[in-house]
Formats: sequence, C-alpha cells, structure tokens
Amino acid sequence: MRERITFIQKLGDSQEPSAFKINGGVISGPEIDAVREDKLTFALDDLPSELYTLLDDIHELYVRWVSPVASETVAPFLARLPPGFHLFFTPGKEGGAVLNTLCPTLSKVFGSIECSTPADSFTSLPSDRFSHSAALQYFQPLEDLSRFIQYTKDQLCSKSNSQCVARLDRLAGASSLEVSYDTISHALKITAVWPYQRQSVYAASRPQSRTEVGVLSADIPPGLEPNELGISGLLTVLEQDSEPSPVVFSFASRHQDANSEFSTSFLEPTGLHPTLQIQLESNQPPSEDASCSAHAYLTLPRNIFADKYQLADDLFLASKNLTALRYISQPVDLEAPEYVMKSWGSAILLELSPPDGEQDQSWTAEIPLHLRYLLPAKGGYESIQIPYPAVFWACTAEEGTKFPSNPFDRVNLGYDGLFGPRTVFWHVEPRPVGGNRLENTVKVPVLDLEKSLWVNAGTAIVVLAGFTWIVWKLAAVFFLAGHGEASLRETKSVKEKKQQ
Amino acid sequence: MAKPSSGSKRSGESNAPASQKTGAAVSPAGPSILASFFHKPLPLYLSAALLRVVLLLYGLWQDANSPLKYTDIDYLVFTDAARFVSRGQTPYARETYRYTPVLAWLLLPTAQTTGNPFWDAVLFHSGKVLFAAADLVAGWLLERILTMGSTSKAGRVIPGMEAATARKFAAIWLLNPMVAAISTRGSSEGLLGVLVTALLWAVLARRVTLAGLLLGFGVHFKIYPFIYAPAIVWWMDRETMAAGSKAKTVAGKRKSPLTSSAPTTSNAPWLNRVMSFVTPARIQLAVISLLTFLLLNAAMFILHGTPFITHTYLHHVTRIDHRHNFSPYNTQLYLTSSLSSSSSSSSSSTHPLKSLQIESLAFLPQLLLSTVLIPLALAKKSLPSAMLAQTFAFVTFNKVCTSQYFLWYMVLLPLYLPGSSFLRDKRLGLAALALWVGGQALWLQQGYELEFLGRSTFVPGLWVASLGFFLVNCWILGVIVGDSGEGLVL
Repeated sequence: MRERITFIQKLGDSQEPSAFKINGGVISGPEIDAVREDKLTFALDDLPSELYTLLDDIHELYVRWVSPVASETVAPFLARLPPGFHLFFTPGKEGGAVLNTLCPTLSKVFGSIECSTPADSFTSLPSDRFSHSAALQYFQPLEDLSRFIQYTKDQLCSKSNSQCVARLDRLAGASSLEVSYDTISHALKITAVWPYQRQSVYAASRPQSRTEVGVLSADIPPGLEPNELGISGLLTVLEQDSEPSPVVFSFASRHQDANSEFSTSFLEPTGLHPTLQIQLESNQPPSEDASCSAHAYLTLPRNIFADKYQLADDLFLASKNLTALRYISQPVDLEAPEYVMKSWGSAILLELSPPDGEQDQSWTAEIPLHLRYLLPAKGGYESIQIPYPAVFWACTAEEGTKFPSNPFDRVNLGYDGLFGPRTVFWHVEPRPVGGNRLENTVKVPVLDLEKSLWVNAGTAIVVLAGFTWIVWKLAAVFFLAGHGEASLRETKSVKEKKQQ
Repeated sequence: MAKPSSGSKRSGESNAPASQKTGAAVSPAGPSILASFFHKPLPLYLSAALLRVVLLLYGLWQDANSPLKYTDIDYLVFTDAARFVSRGQTPYARETYRYTPVLAWLLLPTAQTTGNPFWDAVLFHSGKVLFAAADLVAGWLLERILTMGSTSKAGRVIPGMEAATARKFAAIWLLNPMVAAISTRGSSEGLLGVLVTALLWAVLARRVTLAGLLLGFGVHFKIYPFIYAPAIVWWMDRETMAAGSKAKTVAGKRKSPLTSSAPTTSNAPWLNRVMSFVTPARIQLAVISLLTFLLLNAAMFILHGTPFITHTYLHHVTRIDHRHNFSPYNTQLYLTSSLSSSSSSSSSSTHPLKSLQIESLAFLPQLLLSTVLIPLALAKKSLPSAMLAQTFAFVTFNKVCTSQYFLWYMVLLPLYLPGSSFLRDKRLGLAALALWVGGQALWLQQGYELEFLGRSTFVPGLWVASLGFFLVNCWILGVIVGDSGEGLVL
C-alpha cells in the first residue's frame, strides 16, 4: 500500500522546514489553513476478498462522491461535479458475475445505492467520440459517507486500533471521495479531499506502506504558462526522510478556477415543469487566448428530466440563453412515472449562451425541466432535491499540452469524456442560496393518499352509472323499436307522401 | 332523408312546421348572405381552405418568431420518423413514434431537402397541407353522404338532403376552428376523419370491396376503427344491400332461394338464422378487411420487426400513462399503478400484470357499448348515428382521453345533427354544448393549477372534473342513442 497526504495552502502561506517535527514514522506540525487530500493506493492483494473478486470482472470502475454541503477549495482541487454519488463503469470482456453483484456490493459499501443491475439502472456513455470515457454511468444523490466509513472500519481496522478508527471517522468531514480502479494500473486508488479549513499537520506511517506527506502552497514560479499551476512547499517520506525537503514544481492543469460564482434556483411557481435558473456572476470567458464556451453539466435523478426535443429549437434555446443541448444520456422516457423507472435518471450537457460584450455583467440561463409523477403521498406533496449542476467554461488548450503530468489530475467525471482530450475546464464556483447546501428543492404535487379513499369506489360507481344510463337508453330503443330499421322513418315518409 | 321536424311515433306530436328539406330550422338567419354562401360549393370549400391556409401561415410565423411553437409536438415526432425512414432506418428510432410506418411514408416529402431554405420549409410543412387537405376531403364526403339518399327495405326511395343544406352541416366540420387548428398544427387526426367518412360513404354506396379496404387500413392505421366493423356488418343485411341501387340486382336474385328455403329447415331455426346472417356482402367485407389488415401488418412486421408491433399496438395495451387526461379512470390508474409498483418495489417485473387487471375491467363497458350494444340496437336504424354513438362511447369510456380524440366523433357529428334533439330543441342543444365545453373548461382549470402552479389538484379537483365531464358525455350519448332509436336522424 502507498499513501500520499497533501496539505495545500493558499498563495503566500508557506511553512519553514523547522516548523515540523519528524519522529520515526510520525510528522507533526503547526496549525495551518489548508485543503487536505489523502490518496491511498492498494494493491489488489491487500483488498477484502469480496472486493477482489468483484474487481476481477471489471475493466474500469470510478466512483466520485461529492458532498452536498458547499465548501471552499483551492487549486489544484478545482474539478467540480454535481453533488452526489457518481459511478462510471466498464465491465470486463466476459461480463461475468459482476453484473449481478455490483449493485448489492455498492449498497453494502456506500449505503442505500438504489440500482438493481447495470443493465437496468445504468446509462451508456457515448463510446464513439472519444475513447477515454467509461461505458456506463450511474448517479444518485448521497448525503454522506457514513456507511462507507463503517464498512471500511470493519474491513481495515482491527478492534484495538483506535488510530485507524479515528482516521476513517474523519472521512465524515470530507468534501469528496474518489475510488478508481482499472485493469491497466491493477491497483485500487482511494482519494479523499477535505475542505479548506484550519487544521494541524499530523501523519503517521503504517507498517508495510510508504507514506509521503506534502505541506504545499500555491505558487507562481517564473515562466508559468497560462494553463499551468505552480506549487511549492515541503515533501517528507515517513521513515525515510529525517527532515522535509523543499520542492517547487508546475504542471498543466485540466481544471482551473474561473474566479467567478454561480447559483441556481427554480423559478416560481414550479408546477410540473420547473425551470432551473442558473445565475452567473460573469459573462467574460476566463481565457483570452483560447476559444471558450460556457457549459452546464447536470445529473438529474429519475424524478426529473429534460426533453431533448424541446431543447432542439434554436429560438426556444436562445430565449433561455442556451446555445445547444450538447449531450443527453439515452434513453429518457418522456412519459413514465418515477416509480416504474429503473434507470437512474439522465445526464445532460448544455452549452450556455452568455450575453456578448466586453463589459463584465451577471446573467442567467434557464433550463426547462419536467417532473415525473411520483408515488401518491399523504398531504399531496413531496419534496425532491435536485443537485446543483457543474458549471464551467470549456476552453481549448494548446497543442502538446500534457495534463497527466499533473499529480492532482482529475478525470472520469462524466463531462470530460464529452470533450476533446485537450480541453481545459475553468470551473465557476457553486454558491448555495440560503444555507450551505448545493441543491435545489422542488415541491412536487402528488395524489393525496388521505383524500384518495373514495377514488376507486367513486370511479366505479360513476362509470357504472354512466354505463347503466346508456344501456337503459339502448334497451328502451331495443324494446320499443327492435334492432331493425327505424319504423318511424317508414311511417313518416308515408305520412309525408300522403301530405304531399 | 333528414328530419329536422320533430315528432315521434310514441308521443304522437304533430310534425313540426319547418320544411323538411331546407333545414331552415338550423339557419334562422334566413336566405340572405348565409344561404347564398351555401348555395354553391365553391364559397364553403374555398373559405375552409382559406381558413387552413391562414392558420398554416400564421403557424409558420409563430414558429419562426416565438419560442412558443404553433406546431404540435406530434408533428415533430412524425417528421423525425419520416427522416429516419428516408435514411433507410426504422421510424421507431424516434421515441414516442407509436404509429404505423405508413404515416412516416406519407410524410416522406417533409424529410427532403433542396438546399434552398424556402423550399425546405415548404417541404417540411407539406405534411400539414396533407392533413388539412384530408379535412377538406372529409368535409366533401360528409356532403356526399348527406345528399346521398337511401332506399328503404320496403323499396321506398328516401331522398337525400339538398346540397345547400348538406353543405351547411358539412360546415360544422369544415369551418370548425378546432378542426382546422388541429390539422394545421400537424396532428394526423384529419387523416382519420377522411378514412372514417370514406368508409361510411363506401358502405352506404354498397361499395363493399372499397369499404373492406378502408376498414382494414383504418384499423391498421389507428386500431379504434375496428369498432365500426360490427355496426357495418350488422347493417349490411340482405335486404339493405338489396335495397341499395348498386347491388340490387345481384343480391336481389340470390335472396329468393334462401328465404324460400327457410320453412324447410324449421327443425333448426337458429341454424336458419345463422345461415341467413351469412351473406355474400358480409363475407366479402370480412375477408377483404381482414386480408387488408393482416397483409399490411405482415408487411410492416417484415420491414420493421417487433418494434412495429410493440410501438403501434402493444404500447396501447400496456401503457401506464396517467399524466392527467380527460379519462374518468385517470386518477384511479395513477393510484393503482402506484400501489402495484410499491407493493413490489424492489422486485421488478410484477406490476404490468397487476395494472392490467383494472385496465381490462375498464375495457369491458367500453367494448360492450361500442362494439356490441350500440351496433346491435342502432346500426340498422341509422348507420352514421350508430357510428357516432360508438365513437362517442369508445372515447368517453377510454382509459386515456385527450382533446384530439374528440375529433374522432366530431367528424360524424354533421351526419347526426340534422334531425337531432339538439337542433330541434335549441335550449337542449345549447345546454349540451355549454356542458361539454364547461366540463372541459373546469377540468382544464384544475389541470392548469396542477401543471403550472404546482397545486395538488388530483383529488378532488381533477378527479371530480373528469367524472363530471364523463357524466356530461354519457348524457349526450344517451340523447344520441335515443334520437337514433326514434329514427329522427339520417
């Protein structure tokens, strides 16, 4: 097992080597304001047997969990995703048992994951355009990692190891968690990131593992390119180094900070066709050298969806400050109620249309959505939470830019596979509205169970009454005039003839 | 043929003074402009065409200038499907395309491109022209049917309506803004109108082969015209067919040996009855319509495989589509579908069967009325009114009902109205119209509160509104049944 613990502070906050005590396998230092990232790399042999057999059938598997609670971050942890549990998955060639065991295992590890099988619940990602995305996608809102913490404690920590337990408990405060596996690297990587906050530097090595600790801060070394990030600070390999060694490095980063904010809300009244309004702080592209376009990437739970046919008309799109629907996962049933749907929902990528002009101004884009019918409930209303989208400017990077050299690179996020490999994502920071949660609530009208007691009987009585009335009228016709030709017509025409 | 005058055999009322042939009771406006408008066919058909041209052009303008589209979403479904077909793909590649591929073929011109944006737009909207033209043809067929006249079994010739009066009634369809709007928005219901009126015309004209072809095609196209089969079959008995001018000589000759053989088989009167029911015309209609239906389906199945069956037919049996609509079953279907799905929440595949139960129960009154009881009681008295009553019953008792379905019976209305109670008794007629429109308005108001304001109006609002509208429809249907039984109508 290998472990990398990184503290990253803001520009200008740097620490002296002398501030750290290194004692055997333990490093400790002062309290600092930083984002912390822990990255653990497991060889497959180190894993619990159920995970080992599961991964054996898998070509690639990426879990990305993002907390619904807004938090501050710093470069290079800039990649954004809608909050919730994202999964990108490519089964092995054989398929195998994983197709039946994946969902139960996910539920066991992460808690209430509501998928049944990949075939039923997952959607396909486009495989034709760029080969660097996984085959299948799954998403659902997931509040926290409590089940994951419990599971990993049970699997990894012996009862007596309070340090192990304490460390895993700290995951409760993480803002994101990534689990990545692919057959090529043949290793399982788990990355957790904690929000920018005051914390003391402390790390201890473990037996049979290499632990590297970095206390770094953003930097602008000379000659930094526009798409690059600079980092400087101190690196220590525990049980190997007796003192931290200073480092300065820079790398091209796929994810950048657009230095502006957005928030979302539903236009009132929401009805059954709520419109999600994105309020953006700035209409200015973040990079002047490159061609950039603003995008919103939404992962919509199955209770709400976008209609791609509605989003095909240019006039309609323009009236909402949208340019085009660039991607929507398929298929999206436009009629089915929520409770018969097995698919997780849908992912959409919309290109937004900011107002032109040199002058920086705030603006809005509106995304028309449609609610499905939900299960009837007492009171006649249900509240559903729709995660914030990820909003970013996608800009083209120069030829020859190499992102993978970034030690903090983030890929397999769902939207990155929809762009070319040399795309830089300038992320607009999500800002919660009233509170700290990155989600919007919609009050959905449903059938009121308390008032529905008479629906079955009432419908039956009324239909029967209507039916009886018509049968009565038919019977009257039948018994008075039989089923033959109307006799009246004969008599009448005879009469008329006589009159003539 | 039409009897605007009142009077029934039972009540023994005296005949109304209104002249029989002019239908003056309907147009109290007098002879002046209105009469001259209907005097010749041109003004009516020209203004019906003009109405549609204006609506079509207005629609183009609105589509080009407003984010709110005039064009119906269904038209985009049809034209997308046509585009898939023009590329050699299946029309079912388009989601929610639930129609026969024939419709996509008919709209193939809409998928053509010339490179010239003007002609491309003309081509794209040509489908609406087709639908609007179908409206006009249906109206013209209505006029033909009304002026047709008939021969009673006793051999008495009942003259048809005067052309000017017939046009007045055809105008109910031709100049109806709802009809014109629906077809120029690109809904295909107008095609159905022409199919049904043509079918009725063919039957009344004793053109059995044509009727069989139209019936088979109609059922293939939209399923529901199958309800007309029992009515037509019941209507076309030996005497009726013999009375018809065209088949008179042939059928008349064959009639005598069979009727004369009746007394000899007195030991099995039922057999006799069955034998006399089976007539050449009925066999001809059955064979031709079934063959048309089966051959079309076989051809479509060979071309498009199971998606054709699933989308065109099975979808309508298994759909759990309870987005609120006018059907009285709507709220109940929402409730039952949710109960069956939540009781088997984790295990997946049980609910379609369960929800099928309530739906098959709902089929019972609908099919009993529209395919058995109404044809049996009314078809021989007045085929057009029987077909109207059947359609009305089918739509009213259907488990899904949207306003487009109203067109299915509206096309037959001009054939029933001339002698109906609704026109004889103006107050009754206005009350029926007011209730029919008011019932919808009430429902729409509740629907608006749900859709756009997000108020939970499922119960009691929408539920009560849909049941109320259902009862209004039942009442109207009862009147239609009564009128048809009294022979007051065509």
